[in-house]
Amino acid sequence: MSARRRIAGELAVALLIVFGVGSGAMLLAGVAPRDGFAALFDGAFGSPSELSETFVATTALLFPALGIALAFRAGLFNIGAEGQLVLGGLAAGIVGGAFAAPPAPALIVTLLAGTAAGGVWGGIAGFMRARFGANEVIATLMLNVIAALLAGYVVNGPLHAPDANAGETPLLPPAAWLPALVPDTRLTIALPLALAIAAALWVVLRRTVFGFELRAAGEAPQAARRAGIDLPRITLLALTFSGALAGLGGATIVTGVLHRFNTGLSPGYGFVAIAVALVGNLEPLWIVVAAFGFGILQNGALSMQAVAGVPRDVVNVVEGLVIVALAGRRYVAARRTT
Amino acid sequence: MIAFVLALVGLTLVKATPLIFAALGGVLAERSGVVNIGLEGIMIAGAFAGVCAAGATGNPVLGVAAGIVAGALLAALLAFVTTRLGFDQIVAGTGVNIVALGGAAFGLVLIFGQPGASREVPALGATGANALTALAFVLAGTVAVFLGATPWGLRVQACGENPHAAASAGIDPRQTRFWAVVAGGAIAALGGVYLALGELDLYSDGMTAGRGYIALAAVIFGRWTALGATGAALFFGLFAALQYTLQRSGIPSELMQALPYLAALVALAGLAGRVRAPAADGVPYLPAQEADS
Repeated sequence: MSARRRIAGELAVALLIVFGVGSGAMLLAGVAPRDGFAALFDGAFGSPSELSETFVATTALLFPALGIALAFRAGLFNIGAEGQLVLGGLAAGIVGGAFAAPPAPALIVTLLAGTAAGGVWGGIAGFMRARFGANEVIATLMLNVIAALLAGYVVNGPLHAPDANAGETPLLPPAAWLPALVPDTRLTIALPLALAIAAALWVVLRRTVFGFELRAAGEAPQAARRAGIDLPRITLLALTFSGALAGLGGATIVTGVLHRFNTGLSPGYGFVAIAVALVGNLEPLWIVVAAFGFGILQNGALSMQAVAGVPRDVVNVVEGLVIVALAGRRYVAARRTT
Repeated sequence: MIAFVLALVGLTLVKATPLIFAALGGVLAERSGVVNIGLEGIMIAGAFAGVCAAGATGNPVLGVAAGIVAGALLAALLAFVTTRLGFDQIVAGTGVNIVALGGAAFGLVLIFGQPGASREVPALGATGANALTALAFVLAGTVAVFLGATPWGLRVQACGENPHAAASAGIDPRQTRFWAVVAGGAIAALGGVYLALGELDLYSDGMTAGRGYIALAAVIFGRWTALGATGAALFFGLFAALQYTLQRSGIPSELMQALPYLAALVALAGLAGRVRAPAADGVPYLPAQEADS
């Protein structure tokens, strides 16, 4: 009971930050909080097309958030989701551009390319941690910067197409586009795919040997080691899968939303996803709910800025404070430090 | 050739100065037992507050002061949740970085009426910038002496190695860690101030460009010592300087920009296991009666 009460209390703090700090920032900007929040919620739900964009943002957050939660459950903090997502998108933009037809394999190979790229990028940090004991937090921070530079170099350098703008790959052939879920919106089958992965992750964590080993490594590493669980292997796999999920997320943005890779494809989804994972208490099904909540903020912020005149960057302040406030969550505080 | 070397040395000092400030802030926090991932955000806070104050008063020295205060305040938020509430230091520090980045972007629109970058403000100029570089080296020596040769410094170290033993000896680890993080934040903020008012004369989004993270790597290379971290910061500064001197050589600029990060990554793997962090670095300290409840 007390654990449940604690979770409820933490959620209350998060909501207090959203509405309290949000209102304060709106007042600073000279906007009545009522008008500011009205614009935000209107922009998130006001019409079917706005609602669909909220789901697009939800989807973009869900993939990296699930990956971050998976790593956290193994006692690892993957701050590198942003870089993994960007490289997943880059790989999808390159591989997807190589196809003309037929659709199904083209799309699947494109998504797999993004998944693999993200997995490799997460796996580098996992390997460094498993093999050398190098801190995965610092490694993934460095890899984020390197990923952004690498993506910029690839699209503007060797793979720059004459018909593409700076920082972009050419438009993907429709064979590599994700089918729309709702016609005339950017909402694609990426959303049900993300939901299916959330359900699968829930099953893996609860019902499989690997999930048990992963949780044991996160919650009681010493006992896990004595019980014969190969911690370096879990570390490598957890960070690889974590990166793969973020990479797949990047690939769905490229194949479903933008239909090309763009160096600006992520407005920090990989970082906001940390807040999503924490608010979702690192439980895949609650993360779905949390992702929708942050999807509202991400998408609603656009109209809050356009209609009410409140700079949308306030959403980042709110998200950062939520992360600070929830840094005491159970699995998080038990993180392996060695 | 001599001109080239002199130019490279000068540029290395310019590029290393913000890293030295941030790394010293990191050393102070980590020796007390708190890993400060928020260095990046603290630099942002220092840079932005410095530009605001310099713009409002026309006096860049007041900008420096405002930057220090802003960095200390942001560090105090991190110090509060990590030392008083026992929250995860790394996760909280990540939040601090996001708060600072968003806060500065929000403030740019509110105060300067435009996104992306502020207008140009009265800055320190070459003399002031050089003075800050000199201050960085003076602070490196000061932090080294403070940690190694003063009673307060030894208390800070005790909290980083074994806070429970320190508590038995009558030291309050939570308070000691709190002030170590705040003092470190004030120093790290100078790194942001240098970027905004020393190297440039404005604030722009993303201007810290991950230097707070490089500083974290410098702390590790420097084996958690003030002088070692300063040496590591100079090493990374050299890579950053090479990027500018070699940019017409045909080597892709992105590769040159990535060099300090790649060097940090390689060294991180190479050094891990061979250098020892303060034993209680990153471990929350809760007094026994609270830990049991």
